[in-house]
Amino acid sequence: MSAVAAKPQAGGAMNPTAMGVGVVMLLILLGICWYISPVAGLSVLIGVIIGGVLIGFGTHFVPVGGAPAAMGQAPGIATGVAMLAAGAGLAGLFGGAWAAEQGVVVAVITGGVGGGLMMAITCMMVNFVYVFGMGIPSASGKVAKDPITGDTQAEYKSQGTEGHGLPFVSFVGGVIGGILGGAGGTLIYVELLGLYEQALPGVMNVTAAQVMPIAVSAAGMFAVGLFLVNAVLTAYNITGTIEGPHDPKFKRWPRSIVASAVASALCGLVAVLLVVPLPI
Amino acid sequence: MEHIVFGIGITALTGALATVAGAAEDTESNIGSQGDPNSQVQLAPQMGFLHRIFNKAVAGEPPAYGLWCALGAGLAWAFMAMQTNPVLAIVLGCVLATFVQGVYATTAYVGRTASLAKFGQPVYVDILKSMTTVTMAHAFIAIFCTVTLCHLINAALGHPFPLPLLGLIWGIALGAAGSATGNPYYGKERQYQNQKFGAGVPISASGNIVRYAEAGERNSIDNGWFTAKIGGSASGICFGLIVFLELWRTIVFEAINPWYAIIVGVLMILIFTVVDRYIEVWARKNYGPYTVAKEADA
Amino acid sequence: MSVKVEVIEGGVPHNKILIAGVISTLVCIYLTYLNVLTGTEMFSFFGGIAVVAALIWGSHTIKVLCSYGIGTGVPSAGMIAFGSGVIAMMLATKFGILAPIVALVLAAIIGFILGYVSNNILNMKIPAMVQALTEMAVVGALSLMGFAALITGGFTFAGLTTGSISVMGMTLLTHQNSFLGGCLIAVAFLLGAIAIQHPFNATLGPGWKQDRMLMLTAECGFLSMIVAAIMSFALISAGSAIISLIVAIIGWAYTYQQYMVLSKRDAAAWLDSKPIPDVEGH
Repeated sequence: MSAVAAKPQAGGAMNPTAMGVGVVMLLILLGICWYISPVAGLSVLIGVIIGGVLIGFGTHFVPVGGAPAAMGQAPGIATGVAMLAAGAGLAGLFGGAWAAEQGVVVAVITGGVGGGLMMAITCMMVNFVYVFGMGIPSASGKVAKDPITGDTQAEYKSQGTEGHGLPFVSFVGGVIGGILGGAGGTLIYVELLGLYEQALPGVMNVTAAQVMPIAVSAAGMFAVGLFLVNAVLTAYNITGTIEGPHDPKFKRWPRSIVASAVASALCGLVAVLLVVPLPI
Repeated sequence: MEHIVFGIGITALTGALATVAGAAEDTESNIGSQGDPNSQVQLAPQMGFLHRIFNKAVAGEPPAYGLWCALGAGLAWAFMAMQTNPVLAIVLGCVLATFVQGVYATTAYVGRTASLAKFGQPVYVDILKSMTTVTMAHAFIAIFCTVTLCHLINAALGHPFPLPLLGLIWGIALGAAGSATGNPYYGKERQYQNQKFGAGVPISASGNIVRYAEAGERNSIDNGWFTAKIGGSASGICFGLIVFLELWRTIVFEAINPWYAIIVGVLMILIFTVVDRYIEVWARKNYGPYTVAKEADA
Repeated sequence: MSVKVEVIEGGVPHNKILIAGVISTLVCIYLTYLNVLTGTEMFSFFGGIAVVAALIWGSHTIKVLCSYGIGTGVPSAGMIAFGSGVIAMMLATKFGILAPIVALVLAAIIGFILGYVSNNILNMKIPAMVQALTEMAVVGALSLMGFAALITGGFTFAGLTTGSISVMGMTLLTHQNSFLGGCLIAVAFLLGAIAIQHPFNATLGPGWKQDRMLMLTAECGFLSMIVAAIMSFALISAGSAIISLIVAIIGWAYTYQQYMVLSKRDAAAWLDSKPIPDVEGH
């Protein structure tokens, strides 16, 4: 999937002015929402922003190696970061949506556990194939010792490669990423579902039971759309590959928090406006 | 109580369907050489290694399978809305989705290979004719199983999401699980079969994929056979476990108390963590290091 | 070592394609409004043509953006295009006849802000990023509106959320059998997201040619139109759906055949059952 040569760029640096502009944009969007719908809309928007930030932040934990990982040249999972995170998060959203009527807290935690479970199984099977199918032990290329287990990495790295497989810290990172992504996606979905269930009957002049399919689909589609936007923004932030929370690229996360917050606020405001009667 | 037993029965069926879907998905994506390993198939002619591998560059597996499964589910939903029998609707929907997949595969192969004309890589029409139907057949199995399990989740287990949305979700999850598990096996083990076993591919060997193999010039059907050895089954187990465990913990425990389902989920994560750690330690002990460990170096 | 993308410039300049794309997409979507004026659903196929036009424009935008080497690969661009587009489109449908214009403006705003965020906060510093993301969000929103018009016959919120179901011979209004209620928008989303990035993804390489890529985009668009037309049988009258299906099949057959002709023109060799040619030193 990533078959593009990265051009030299100021990748890791932070840009304080832009971050400041981002925070200002966020406040403006929150202000607009407060003006239009102070109680219901604003709390939903804040929920959506938190959900989006969880997705964006959580994706940093997921170990993705891209095309080199598919050859055993780099550690991590050999898939694109946006879609792997989306896969785990959506599996979590699936579980969370089922628990939606049990309340926000239960639904979000269920979603998180669902996403984490998917990543745990996937990461375990990745190591399974590397070890039993290819005879290659896991090794990281970015640290001398695994931060969690203390295993030394250098001598288990084959010659000419940057490492391979999923060292334990990457596994844990993957699970955490799945948990945060699943929880974030479910939070967005539950907040929007609640809003639409309340407001759509009035807007469309039908009963609540009749409007359920619309509310579920609209909330689900917004959640999927926001998921992909946040995951792709994170992919841009880490320029495609990351080994996990121990990778130096992980330190770029503050940029992603601001970026995800702005993007989620904007898209969340649009989602809220769907049911707010506009003065036009 | 019967409600839970019925639920467990359906869950077992979806788990089985998911396992078949995962295995078929990985086999199909390796026959077509899709996803990250495809970068090597693209790179090889640029390094002078012309080949007869099917260069199917249709995005990565998660978005591609998200599309095929959502499309199959959407078409099935449309047919069911026209009062067609669900089984027939799902079959028709999946056939049409497979047709779309086949067309995308052919255009990708022809397009990428034509753009490599500068390096002399020919377009092999016979590869197009023989691989496309094989990859479509495996794709049909994967898509059909996934759409069926989505239909079961929606109709028999009562999930609120409509069928197309479930198709999108499980299609992307299928692609992610199959791609994660199967890609390194195909990419390293098969494409670079001539490299030393038990080590990653050194950067210097990039592009030097295997083109002449046990039955003359290697083509992608040989890769399908190879995937069935372990990559396919591993992907199948991965996706099957994901679907089965997610559904099982919900069906059995959520009715009693939703927090039990959460606790069971956390326990499952911990069990898989322990298993993974065991695998990692076993490899370190059994395979040993490549070089002698340097003295503690900061 | 990753594959280098060397894209040779050439062909129609991007801004011309942009203008042509915007105009033809909007015109085609508005032509589906004839459905309302004439009380039928026969003109739904213009929605599909709108999708083809938008995708042609969008795929060229992706080519412009990804030529800079963004480091993440081409499919993510399609995903962010449609991810932002779907959000804009759903709100825009509430504005009645102004819906396509509102979708364009709203998507442009969302895309512009996402572009600013990517370029400045995430420090990607790619010259074409802001314009490209703006264009892609608009393409996403308009394509989805085109799909909606093709499948349901209109682009207003009411039309997307109501359908009919016949129970014992009586026709009842229902929300479940609708474009939004059945979440067919998810299918349209992925159809468009894959179709917009496939042409550049499948033709990238040193031998990239613009006319071949755009022909492939048209082919992907018509292919998506075929399956969307089949799905529309559930929501609009059979006659109108058949019109859409025939237009789509003819369009697809023609563009697919033309694409193969162009690929044969560009390929190094078009061999049938021949061995791997010998290259010096390998």
